[in-house]
Amino acid sequence: MATPCEVLLELDDAGEARAVAESVARSAWRVEDRFSRYRTDNIVQAINTSAGKPVIVDDETANLLDFAATLHELSGGLFDITSGVLRRAWVFDGHARLPARDDIEALLPLVGWHKVSWRRPVLTLLPDMQLDFGGIGKEYAVDQAIAAVRRDFPVSCLINFGGDLAISHPRQQGLAWRVGVESATGPTSSAAAMIDLYRGALATSGDTHRFILSDGRRYTHILDPRTGWPVEHAPRSVTVCAATCTDAGMLTTMALLHGSRAAEFLESAGVRHWIQH
Amino acid sequence: MAANDKRIGAALAAATCTLLGNGTPSPAQAADDVNSWDFETALLYYGESDSRVRDISLSALAKRLFEDEKHLDLSLSVDTLTGASPSGAIATGGAQTFTSPSGREVYSTPANEIPLDDTFLDTRVAVSARWTQPFARLYSGSAGASFSTEYDYTHIGADLALSRDFNRRNTTMSAAVAYSQDDIDPVGGAPQALSQMLDVGDLTNRRGAQSKDVMDVLIGMTQVIDRTTLLRINYSFSDSSGYLTDPYKFVSVVDPISGDTLTRSPPSGTQGPGGVYRFESRPDSRTKHGLFLEAKHAFGSKVLDVSYRYMTDDWEIDSQTLDARLRWPLGGVGYLEPHLRYYSQTAADFYRVSLADGEPLPRFASADSRLGDFDAITVGVKFGREMRHGAEWSARIELYRQSADVPDALLIGNQFGRERSLDLNAIIAQISYRFGL
Repeated sequence: MATPCEVLLELDDAGEARAVAESVARSAWRVEDRFSRYRTDNIVQAINTSAGKPVIVDDETANLLDFAATLHELSGGLFDITSGVLRRAWVFDGHARLPARDDIEALLPLVGWHKVSWRRPVLTLLPDMQLDFGGIGKEYAVDQAIAAVRRDFPVSCLINFGGDLAISHPRQQGLAWRVGVESATGPTSSAAAMIDLYRGALATSGDTHRFILSDGRRYTHILDPRTGWPVEHAPRSVTVCAATCTDAGMLTTMALLHGSRAAEFLESAGVRHWIQH
Repeated sequence: MAANDKRIGAALAAATCTLLGNGTPSPAQAADDVNSWDFETALLYYGESDSRVRDISLSALAKRLFEDEKHLDLSLSVDTLTGASPSGAIATGGAQTFTSPSGREVYSTPANEIPLDDTFLDTRVAVSARWTQPFARLYSGSAGASFSTEYDYTHIGADLALSRDFNRRNTTMSAAVAYSQDDIDPVGGAPQALSQMLDVGDLTNRRGAQSKDVMDVLIGMTQVIDRTTLLRINYSFSDSSGYLTDPYKFVSVVDPISGDTLTRSPPSGTQGPGGVYRFESRPDSRTKHGLFLEAKHAFGSKVLDVSYRYMTDDWEIDSQTLDARLRWPLGGVGYLEPHLRYYSQTAADFYRVSLADGEPLPRFASADSRLGDFDAITVGVKFGREMRHGAEWSARIELYRQSADVPDALLIGNQFGRERSLDLNAIIAQISYRFGL
């Protein structure tokens, strides 16, 4: 997942702590192994090398594809798991290299969920199209891990995969887990907000670390799949609190995709959120 | 658009449910700490035995945390003080009559009892504000201001503090300086030091309003010893100058053999004191040095806090305070905190029980028992309970017992047989409620 993953536990027993940590690690590795696009031995690899031929997928993959389809529809086409190919043109490492217009034009025919044929359990892509679960995978992994902990261990635990986190139970004595949201603009040791989390999950999305600076303009790494270019006027960072990490993560992504309307979107969605510009 | 977004939010939540197969999860619950207020309100009752001083006070503290660990602390308190306290005069074989502080009337006290002055009733309002913020990575500073006012007294003060962390934040060194200016405008005007108490309506010995200023410096160090232990040490220096006398207190003038208070009669047609009394006089400067040591240690979930303070000043008052508190978490969300404090003080060098007639007047003299030798013990317990969303109720009750020790050397003649000093017993009860918005 390419981010630091940590588990915070509130208990006294070292043996039990190790058991919980191992359970979380197992859940994380399982999701990583199954859905990472970098592996050469999983269903994603099979899909991405299918060269236009139909692929039959298992239940879990089918669930994720159904979810991706729903997100595509709810976001009016902005959320699209086929947009990963645009990565070939965009390198978001803080430098000033904007891609050439032609490079983007060349990739656009390979982008578009509406071009995919998905009739559970059969998936057919156009040749050279690629699927990328990166936008859903991390939050999904957090939720899977926390569900396993909740089921197997009566302990209050906070799972944090690179800023996408969830808790299993409230802490002892009804206390909250205290979470700091990193300031998008200030020094790295400062917090833009300190949140007391009693139940649920938090997810954060933004361009604090991945962006391009060119001619004084900041280009976020959230790309609009319809144009191939970054979403305009997206906030620097969005944090959402929701019942599950997947829900929170998708809301942050949707918010960023709404660009200047991010705040409005989250207000009417009725979720607690923190936005930094 | 907005209605659409709401629908999206709900549809998304439903889609997530389907994906995770969890059924409906409980809604999330989070509270935002930064940019919100934290309040603590408290009601306190202080009552001394034998109808002496009674104080009821209401206080409110507000704290607001900003980003980057900056915070603002505000406080407001209102106190109402009633009751009687010793005026400095000694008990004598007959009833005694005194002119009141305002000079407009007299009051009397029974024979063989230490006279109490019950003519004061006062309300005090105090406010303060403090801003704290970090500077650079390891430094933190704060600036504060305070103001209080009551019928005859006004205080204004300001302070600055700076601290720096060392040793991976295991050590903190701090320095603070405070300055305050107090104005006192006693009822009737401050009496001339050691002047005699006059008849009703005679204010010729009064001098009007007075003031004093106080400078305090504190240098300290806090050291984390290990995961469960913390030590703190402070040195403090305080310098007061100006009017440091209590304008309402006086000393009885007595016969040098019998030790009985000299009597007098006011001129016919006027009311006035039935004895000879002189208003007290204290030096116009006072320098104090203090050393404070504190240790906190966690025994499992219980925390013990023990501290010792030694103070000495150029009035010859030396004091020691030993204080111990144990915070004892109770099962769920409550705690019990028993408290024990021992205080002991030696008398000021100008403290005396009475002035002997015929002897030259000393430069300074006070019979205020608060400047004498005494020991005090406080025993108390506090109970607290945390509620939902971080609110907390707490209640505490403390019993205070002070016993003075008037040395024989200060007594003359019949004074040996009479009540030398008043032991003080007091109850302190407080309820507080802490909550956030």
